[in-house]
Amino acid sequence: MRTLKIEHNIKLQLFLLFVVILFVYKIFFYSSDSFLLNTLNEIIVFFAFLFLALYANDVFASKKFNPMSLVMNLGILNAILFLAITFSDSFLTLIFGKVSDTLKNPNIIFSVLSFVYVTIFAAIIIQMFLIFKEFYFLNQKRSSSVYFNTMVFFFLLASVSSVFNLFPDLSYIKNTFVIISVILIVINSIRISWIAFIVKKEKISLLLLSVIICTLFIVNLVNSTDTNTHHRIFNEFSGSLGAFFRILMIYGSVYFAVLFFTTLFHIPTAEAFDRKAQEVSSLQYFSKLITRVLDFDELAETVTDIALKVSNADAAWIIWKEEKTLRQLAHKNIGYLDAELITSYIFREKFLKDTGTLFTESLRKFEKRSQLNEQYSAVAITPLKTHNQLRGFLVVAKKGDFIFDDEDKSAINTFSDYASVAIENSRLLEESIEKERLEKELDVAREIQRKILPAKDPVFDKLAVSSVFIPAFEVGGDYYDFFEIEGNMPGGQAGKFGFIIADVSGKGISAAFIMAEVKGIFESLSKTIESPKEILTKANQILKRSLDRKNFVSAAYGVIDFEKEILSIARAGHCPVLLVREGKVENIRPMGIGLGLNYGTQFQTSLEETEIDLKENDLIVLYTDGITEAKNLEMEDFGEKKFENILIKHSGKNVDEISNEVIKEITLFSKQGTQHDDITLVILKWKHKIKNVSLGEVPSPDGMEKKNG
Amino acid sequence: MAEFSTSIKDQSGVSVVYLNGYLDAHTAPMLESNFSELISGGKFKIVVNFKDLVYISSAGLGVFMAFIEKIRENEGDIKLTTMNDKVYNIFDLLGFPLLYEIYKTEDDAIKKFVETDKLGK
Repeated sequence: MRTLKIEHNIKLQLFLLFVVILFVYKIFFYSSDSFLLNTLNEIIVFFAFLFLALYANDVFASKKFNPMSLVMNLGILNAILFLAITFSDSFLTLIFGKVSDTLKNPNIIFSVLSFVYVTIFAAIIIQMFLIFKEFYFLNQKRSSSVYFNTMVFFFLLASVSSVFNLFPDLSYIKNTFVIISVILIVINSIRISWIAFIVKKEKISLLLLSVIICTLFIVNLVNSTDTNTHHRIFNEFSGSLGAFFRILMIYGSVYFAVLFFTTLFHIPTAEAFDRKAQEVSSLQYFSKLITRVLDFDELAETVTDIALKVSNADAAWIIWKEEKTLRQLAHKNIGYLDAELITSYIFREKFLKDTGTLFTESLRKFEKRSQLNEQYSAVAITPLKTHNQLRGFLVVAKKGDFIFDDEDKSAINTFSDYASVAIENSRLLEESIEKERLEKELDVAREIQRKILPAKDPVFDKLAVSSVFIPAFEVGGDYYDFFEIEGNMPGGQAGKFGFIIADVSGKGISAAFIMAEVKGIFESLSKTIESPKEILTKANQILKRSLDRKNFVSAAYGVIDFEKEILSIARAGHCPVLLVREGKVENIRPMGIGLGLNYGTQFQTSLEETEIDLKENDLIVLYTDGITEAKNLEMEDFGEKKFENILIKHSGKNVDEISNEVIKEITLFSKQGTQHDDITLVILKWKHKIKNVSLGEVPSPDGMEKKNG
Repeated sequence: MAEFSTSIKDQSGVSVVYLNGYLDAHTAPMLESNFSELISGGKFKIVVNFKDLVYISSAGLGVFMAFIEKIRENEGDIKLTTMNDKVYNIFDLLGFPLLYEIYKTEDDAIKKFVETDKLGK
């Protein structure tokens, strides 16, 4: 059949052509005793339905069928045939009169009607045949279709040889072909492999269906005798068509009889087979999923879901180990309270002990079993591990009298391995996402800090200013700023100079936000208030509204009056301000509590303000603890002493050089050690007698000190 | 990172919290949960022993601030004891001695609690 490679549409056209020919032929010669005409009739019929079969085969081949729907289909077609055959005697006689008479002398109406009738049934037979073909190739392991094709070949021979019906002597030819066909039918029906792949429920319904369908086939076969009106018409229309119908009925009877027994033998193993199939597909689904599910909770839900499927259990949940406690999650078919009771029973002795492998527990002796909403009888617990570390347990429970057999246990075990890998994956991913998020956050914090700090140092006649800021990896919350306060100094220069240094508690983005707020507060306060004590008091009050209880800000605020040559300074919990004068370092450390530590009167009453008369070459050094607490590899602090010595040693140099020296020493000290905190260093140098500058510096005409860098 | 641990013991109705190691932004949550547990357990008389504390950062200091209000509302207190010079200096700079009672020894702090109790009665 396959050798006939004809275009799809041409098959349909050829079929229609032959049907028309057949129709015309039937109008003129309905039936004949002439061998020649009879043969011609069979040839036309053969080709007409051959092309119909080929056409329908193409349509069929493009689709995928479920065996159960094929069975149902076959059953329905079979039932139609059965009804037609059974009621043909009464029904058809009503239309055509006594058929044996009519057939001898057919009128035109009978010819047309019987033509339509036969064509419809021929189409049904062809569809049945094609369904059988589908069955044969369903889940077929061998690609070869030799057996089937041979069988079909003999079907056709047996059918066509019915032209010899006119010669009783030659009936052996047809009989031989029929016998060979039957033998081939039996051979081809023995292996029905598709039965294994349907689930147990379908197998049971198939058992019933196959009995019914087999019976229908046998009844249809037995009824297709010459005494039956339906068959008479059929046979008279074309002997070979009738013969093909009978052979197909034989095929159907045999096939469904074999199917019945095959199904019967498959039933006991059906459950195990279903389970394996379920397991395989669940694991397959799960392994696909683990690469996609990122969220831990979602993953846990999936784990218990699939655990239920693979283990045939009634309930499942996960016990997850957190720092000190056990957390239950992803409950499936079980209430939280039930799960809690059972969990505490399981771990009453072996609390969190790493049992290493799966273990089962019967709940029969569980004294609180009556308190459970559902009567669970057994639980199986399997550890979930990542990197050989116990992370939690997967628990599955069964109700009623069921226990966990070896099959269940091995399924759970296999699955828990998969689940562990999945959990580890999600954990690693979460970690790397978290890390990335933190880094992004720190980038933002650093950017905020960079924008908050002054872009450049101010320049004054009487004061040299140099500032250095080195951010730590985790933004430390250091802040410093300069404010020029108007006054009546010559050349329109500021009359007063305010400065602040502050350190916000905490790190990262939260510290950066507080820092921004602190900047806003001091920027506006410095314009209206001159007294450092008042500014800090006011700032503390404002910060009350926005600071968390555990956050605070250490700050030192100072004002230099250029006219009076006085520095006034107040300190709210910050490192002391250093005054380097004549080779000595003095700690300026007026009393004061950090901003945000106390919002009562205590803050204000304890806050002191110090005034210092500035002298030529005085160094005023502001810093944060990032300098004194800079660590070396031995985790030793850089310390105040070292810091002060460097300042004394280089106090003769200009401010930029001094700060360079300090930073250089800190860098040398900490070497490869990480910088834990921001480093801020602001150095101010009082230069009143410009004309008498030591170190032989030539003063610039306008008295400005030349700035380096 | 630097290590940090705490332990708590109960002595004549006073909870003594021992700090060990480095208290910074990363380890502060541990001490925070210690305080939360004490408070939820109705224990408001707390002495913190700094004997084995090597370092405290601003985030570490913040922990004390976070709970002090609640504790004092409940007629309790956090008293700090046995600080080494370096740690004391950090507290001192920020003005903590004005806000907290700081004692040389653990016993002094406990004694103070007991005395206040007697006075209260």
